[in-house]
Amino acid sequence: MRLLLWWGGRALSSAVTLLGISVLIFAALRLMPGGFAETILGPFATPEQKAALAARYGLDQSVLAQYGHWLAAVGTGDLGTSMISRQPVAAELAARLPVTARLTLLAVAAAVLAGVPLGVVTAVRARPGGGGGAGRLLSGLGVSVPEFALGSLVVFVVSRYGLQTTGYLLPAAVLSIFAISATARTTRDAVLGVLVEQHITAAVARGETPWFIVRHHVLRNAAGPVLTLTATVTAYLLGGALIVEYLFNLPGIGSYVVQAVGRRDYAVVQAGVLLAAAVFIVMNVLVDLLVGLVDPRLGRRA
Amino acid sequence: MNPLLEVDGLVVDYGRARALDGADLRVAAGQTVGVVGESGSGKSTLGAAIGRLLPRQARVEAGEVRVAGERVLALRPAELRRLRRSRLGFVFQDPIASLDPTMRVGRQLRLVLGRTGRDDVAAQLARVGLDADRVASAYPHQLSGGMAQRVAIALAMAASPELLVADEPTASLDAQVREKVLDVVFALAAGAGTSIVWLSHDLPAVARRCDRVAVMYGGRVVESGPAAAVLGAPAHPYTAALAASAPAAAPPGVRLRPVPGRPPVLTGPSPGCAFEPRCPFAEERCAVERPAPVRVGEQDALCHRAADLTGELEVVA
Repeated sequence: MRLLLWWGGRALSSAVTLLGISVLIFAALRLMPGGFAETILGPFATPEQKAALAARYGLDQSVLAQYGHWLAAVGTGDLGTSMISRQPVAAELAARLPVTARLTLLAVAAAVLAGVPLGVVTAVRARPGGGGGAGRLLSGLGVSVPEFALGSLVVFVVSRYGLQTTGYLLPAAVLSIFAISATARTTRDAVLGVLVEQHITAAVARGETPWFIVRHHVLRNAAGPVLTLTATVTAYLLGGALIVEYLFNLPGIGSYVVQAVGRRDYAVVQAGVLLAAAVFIVMNVLVDLLVGLVDPRLGRRA
Repeated sequence: MNPLLEVDGLVVDYGRARALDGADLRVAAGQTVGVVGESGSGKSTLGAAIGRLLPRQARVEAGEVRVAGERVLALRPAELRRLRRSRLGFVFQDPIASLDPTMRVGRQLRLVLGRTGRDDVAAQLARVGLDADRVASAYPHQLSGGMAQRVAIALAMAASPELLVADEPTASLDAQVREKVLDVVFALAAGAGTSIVWLSHDLPAVARRCDRVAVMYGGRVVESGPAAAVLGAPAHPYTAALAASAPAAAPPGVRLRPVPGRPPVLTGPSPGCAFEPRCPFAEERCAVERPAPVRVGEQDALCHRAADLTGELEVVA
């Protein structure tokens, strides 16, 4: 019964969040200077031409009415039709999902496989006062250098020497710099937090070796924040690594939505943003379940 | 024969604060020793130093700790782990926090037993008075404090150590549970021939259960000897004051006498006797000259006046 209530609450709050996001994106798109008609027909179109085009897509109705129609359609699973390609948005997004998914998988795999061990090792090796200077500086850089700067640099260097910029490796590498750094930092902080707990002292007092203690008593206790971060990074990338996909000309969801913003292809942008938000919400629910499984103290509350 | 535990002139600083100011302690094989003193007297630091479990910011400035003749503070990491595994056991104040919160009790016990090649989780739990069917599959937060402390005791005693250091193991437990948990500790230790160093606030309980008592003040053991002698006929004025302030020492209706003044906060070696500012018997030299151990009756006391005060120190008003 309580479990049912919990799920009901989660579903309700997710629906409200999605609704709020849809209002925001709908309003933001309509407030942008230059509507669909102006963008498509160019600066020399006559008012009659613009009006005709707007009428064809229902853009002459009030914003509220447009939102109502769109919401009703989304409710039945119809994400609308791209005003540029005249194809259903759902099909267009589905066609681009594998590209984004592959990119996400590569970057997240790198983050977990490299970031977690780095974080654990630097935490266990940490000495009082040492602060992990070099590692903190490197991971700090990795977290804060913007993707567009690093991505542009990589594209410039690679194309300068006439190398291929196609494929997934380079964009995944650019994305994983951030993901690895963030994962390593979060892991290190989580492990340092566990290492000062009393039960670790108790294990040390029993004469256990450092790696035995890490394997049996640290990893699971430190997993919560790392799982949360991994889920956030995954959701962020699945929603479309906008800039990197665009820079490396990868036909994923991110570059598709960025193009759609430029062309004021409302239905595509709305669907893209809604999808990204939905992925975030689903990942959050998943990670809550997972953290509950990993830490029994949290799992029993539902 | 050498004693099992020898602590000689141990000095430990936390940053600028001095926690131990030349502490000495001896424990023979099979002996039970109660270490008593106010909060901040250095009990916990002394207990942690026995297993080299001092917090990272602690620095050992001088002194020596030997367990079965091995110099604990000088051992290499692998030797230190072997010493902890084979000779030492520790029980801490907060029982639930000293168990891994993400692991079932049975599995934690099995990990420890695995080292000794055994797998008798149920028998180990039965030894501390717990029912394996109920407890083995529970997580620590599902246990009461008393049950969790029994589990912690089972973990510490699994390898039958030669010395068990118990740092106020019952301070966070209900009064009714305390005695039962202490019964378990002392019965298991007696069965295994394990010595106990029990850090405690509870003078009457120490008097009832321990062979010997060590009284700490200002980072030193100011008096030690057989429990009945130390608590019945103190040789050090501080022991007398501490015993008089214990609620159980006074007959009903008699006002307790708190130790006047405050415990010292040391930032370096105490120039004289650390108790001098609070001591009703202090002389001039007590402030400037560190007392050396004096033998009074069956006790060793760090007091310039211990010999003159024989028979003058009374516990009860």
